[in-house]
Amino acid sequence: MKALIYFTVIVGLVPIQSVLLPHISVWGVKPDLGFVAVCLVGLIAGELDGLLVGIALGWAMSLFSAQDLISGVVLKGTVGFVAGLAGRQVVYLSPIVLVAGLLVVSCLAGLITPFALKLSLQQDWWWAVWTVVLPQACLDAVSGGLIYWLMWSRLNIEQLMSESRM
Amino acid sequence: MRMVNLRAPYSVRRVALVLAVILVLGFLLLPGQLQSVFQQIGSPLGWIISWPLQVVAGVHDRIAGIWGRYVALQGVEEENQQLKRELDLLKEQNGQLREASVATERLSALLEFKKQVLPTSVAAQVIGRDTGNWYKTIILNKGASDGLQSDQGVITPAGVVGRVVKTTASTAVVLLVTDPNNAIAGLIQRTRDEGIVEGTTQGQARLKYIPLLSNARPGDHVVTSGLVGGFPRGIPIGTIIRIDKEEEALFQSAELSPEVDPNRVEEVLVIQSPSIPTEGGRLGVPKPKP
Repeated sequence: MKALIYFTVIVGLVPIQSVLLPHISVWGVKPDLGFVAVCLVGLIAGELDGLLVGIALGWAMSLFSAQDLISGVVLKGTVGFVAGLAGRQVVYLSPIVLVAGLLVVSCLAGLITPFALKLSLQQDWWWAVWTVVLPQACLDAVSGGLIYWLMWSRLNIEQLMSESRM
Repeated sequence: MRMVNLRAPYSVRRVALVLAVILVLGFLLLPGQLQSVFQQIGSPLGWIISWPLQVVAGVHDRIAGIWGRYVALQGVEEENQQLKRELDLLKEQNGQLREASVATERLSALLEFKKQVLPTSVAAQVIGRDTGNWYKTIILNKGASDGLQSDQGVITPAGVVGRVVKTTASTAVVLLVTDPNNAIAGLIQRTRDEGIVEGTTQGQARLKYIPLLSNARPGDHVVTSGLVGGFPRGIPIGTIIRIDKEEEALFQSAELSPEVDPNRVEEVLVIQSPSIPTEGGRLGVPKPKP
């Protein structure tokens, strides 16, 4: 069942990310729902699930992007793993804390990405920070916070976390 | 609502975790050439994902169509589309005629000008955009099974759109001409100066490496040179809007306004056999001296 849920998330997220999100992009930047999903899976289900879903989602999303496969797989896998480790350290996770956490982790992942991608000389570090990393981190944090708030208000997150991590 | 858990034993989870971490580290150490192998392995996954992708794109197009035709602007939208199509057609004809006349004048006196064979092309529909924010790409509904390959040129009747950089069985990713990581061999139609067209971070394009003595000026048209890449000669790329000359620089560069607005492209043609003449082919095989 869990595998089916993960498969649905992976197969469903790519069309949403590539077809629908460009319409709600802000200054040409859209949130990375794959990143948000991997973080939430890692936080709720643990580092193994976060890592595996991160690898699979990074792979699937790189098939529909000019981004190279290795950076997509390694970055998303690492984010899922780190989210799993972070989730192990917290007992109670409020949406506000999650938003702050997503903002920081998205910024860090975004700062590493230009080096991993070997972009053109025009796309230097400052350009990346101001035009992609910071806006995307804000959008990731807001969208992740909204998704988590919806889950938080309808599901028993603490129980879900403890059950998933057993 | 409860999530069902597979409840693997703790030691099994730990072993699986270690293996997964080794897998990620292994990816880091892989040489770049092996990426294409994983791209091939991922092709079935891409095929599976392409189904919901096309369904979502279809629903999206239908909603956009209803909105555009019946809600937003009744009648005007259709007329506008028709005019745009006619304008694109005229631009294409204009570019081709201009290119043909200039090429005929210059080359017919010097060489036995070989008429370029029209390339075979595949029509494809745009079904999505890049899943990330780092590249400007579009996703097409045709892939490797339709004969699409990396480095093939993508055009519309108005001009160059970009080139294919990745394919799955049923989709292809096209890096747009406005992406800074793209490079296409270009030619100023009036002066015949060649250069490399790159995208800019502002969503425009730039022709680089124009000789300092070139008298290129704003308003000049830039077309594909046909020397390198998946494009035949003479496809419009853009119009020069500004010339940049820096002191002590070896070359000048020009800012271009692309002929095609990549954000509004819906249908494209993928050039499968550009029949690009090589330098040797263009100049003829040197004959041995008697």
